[in-house]
Amino acid sequence: MGSPLIRGNMFVIDQSRCIGCEACVQACEECGTHRGESLIHLEFVDRGATPQTAPMVCMHCEDPTCAQVCPADAIKQNEDGVVQSSLKPRCIGCSNCVLACPFGVPKYFALPDQMMKCDMCYDRTSVGLKPMCASVCPSQALWFGTPEEFADTRRGELMFEFRFGNQLVPTKVATVVNDRSDGPVDPLAEPPSRWQDDPFGLEEAFS
Amino acid sequence: MSTSGSTFRIDGRAAMFAGSAVGVLLVLVYVGSGAGRWFDAALAGYLIGVLMGVFAVVYRYLVWIQRPPTARLNRRGWESFRRKGRVGHNAVGLVGLVGTNLLAQGFIRKRSTARWAAHQLVFWGCLLAAAVTFPLTLGWVHFESVGQQGSHYKAFFFGIGTGSFSATSLVGFTTFHLLNISAFMVIGGVLIFLFRRTRDPGALAVERSGDFLALAGLFGVSITGLFLTASTMWLEGRYYAFLTNVHALTVIMGLLYIPFGKLFHIFQRPANLGVHFYRAEGARGVQHECRECHKPYASAMQVADLKEVLPAVGFDYRDNAGGNWQDICPSCRRKMVTAAQVARVGGFG
Repeated sequence: MGSPLIRGNMFVIDQSRCIGCEACVQACEECGTHRGESLIHLEFVDRGATPQTAPMVCMHCEDPTCAQVCPADAIKQNEDGVVQSSLKPRCIGCSNCVLACPFGVPKYFALPDQMMKCDMCYDRTSVGLKPMCASVCPSQALWFGTPEEFADTRRGELMFEFRFGNQLVPTKVATVVNDRSDGPVDPLAEPPSRWQDDPFGLEEAFS
Repeated sequence: MSTSGSTFRIDGRAAMFAGSAVGVLLVLVYVGSGAGRWFDAALAGYLIGVLMGVFAVVYRYLVWIQRPPTARLNRRGWESFRRKGRVGHNAVGLVGLVGTNLLAQGFIRKRSTARWAAHQLVFWGCLLAAAVTFPLTLGWVHFESVGQQGSHYKAFFFGIGTGSFSATSLVGFTTFHLLNISAFMVIGGVLIFLFRRTRDPGALAVERSGDFLALAGLFGVSITGLFLTASTMWLEGRYYAFLTNVHALTVIMGLLYIPFGKLFHIFQRPANLGVHFYRAEGARGVQHECRECHKPYASAMQVADLKEVLPAVGFDYRDNAGGNWQDICPSCRRKMVTAAQVARVGGFG
């Protein structure tokens, strides 16, 4: 029997909606699986140029890089695809996962000498509840629900794939794009220009 | 749980080394027991369990240490430890690390005092039990009466006589009850673990059968061992034959469980000491600068190691411009992913 998580709900992160309120940072500390430690990331993209903030949760890769580079076999993936935090007895604190994760998600904690990462609030999502961050996000940049609820209430299309150079990374957590047919989200791709070189078609008209 | 699918195949080299370890142990049994003279035939089942356990642990360890990230860390850890001019310093440091990390386990105390207390009870209880039972099972230790004094015993180790003691003295009582003491320590630790686990919703959510199985195994071995003492002391030996078989079965199953379950961390955890030397070596060396923000974020050695390990485990983070996603710090990665996503929904708001 699968958990309610895989029976229908999904986790969606739409960074463009983030307003940087940090409610998720506070709520994350309340998660039962890592009480007292906030594991979500939230930072400004470029404070001098834009108010845009960058929230980041674990995207729960189908083939997690963090688990593959772990020398101690300490990072496991559940049957429902959720990549768990490091197993406490096994983690040897090498930080390979921290450095290798393409999304920059795992955090190393020096005192317990252990890596911890977002596990999608498994104590909650495994019984059908929203992760802590999604339950408090006022702009729904962090969202948890069924695909039907998403289609009814949100704009955009769901994207479960990212590209980092030659590496395609399919994920369990979705992000939002206008047009899925444009391919995976690619941070190294040239961003489409927001400026139109000939907004009124003058060049074309007089050529 | 899984990380990724893998095909099963026997590792011939690891099997050969594991077989050799069993062979060496058998030779030590032969030598230590005076060519079998002091080997206790009643413990033959345990010996078979130990031999199978040794084979399985050595095999599993060798397979584990060949994984690309493990092999790289193992090599780097030793290289860092043997670095010219630092061997002495590192040797002293190693003694300290064994004391603080492996024996006192201070890092667990920083997670929770109750967790640390439970782990210490189980750890020292198991070590004490192993120190008693393994030499007895392998025939390395036996007891003889001292002269005509039936109440005095002398312990022999590898056939060499050590101190003698009276069975009714405190030393004698403690010696003959070491396994009972260790059983109480282990049971105490297991109960604290269970108490914590059953009251922690977070721990229960990520619980897997292996966690409880390890605790159940430790409890089973300890309690069935105590049953033997109870049968001897208070039941005039009733049910002893049955209980001794039950105890032997739990012990042998426990030995065979070690390489496959949670208890294998006993052999994995010492790699943490290598990480300390690797980390220190990295901190002394060149630091890798992020190609986006130009700030150092990790040792150049570890980033270079990861760039070699990643293709070996099936990842290619190189880009067409000759760069590598691994040359970007985690913070810039997060920002760039956000920028890319935002661009896909119309740009910054």
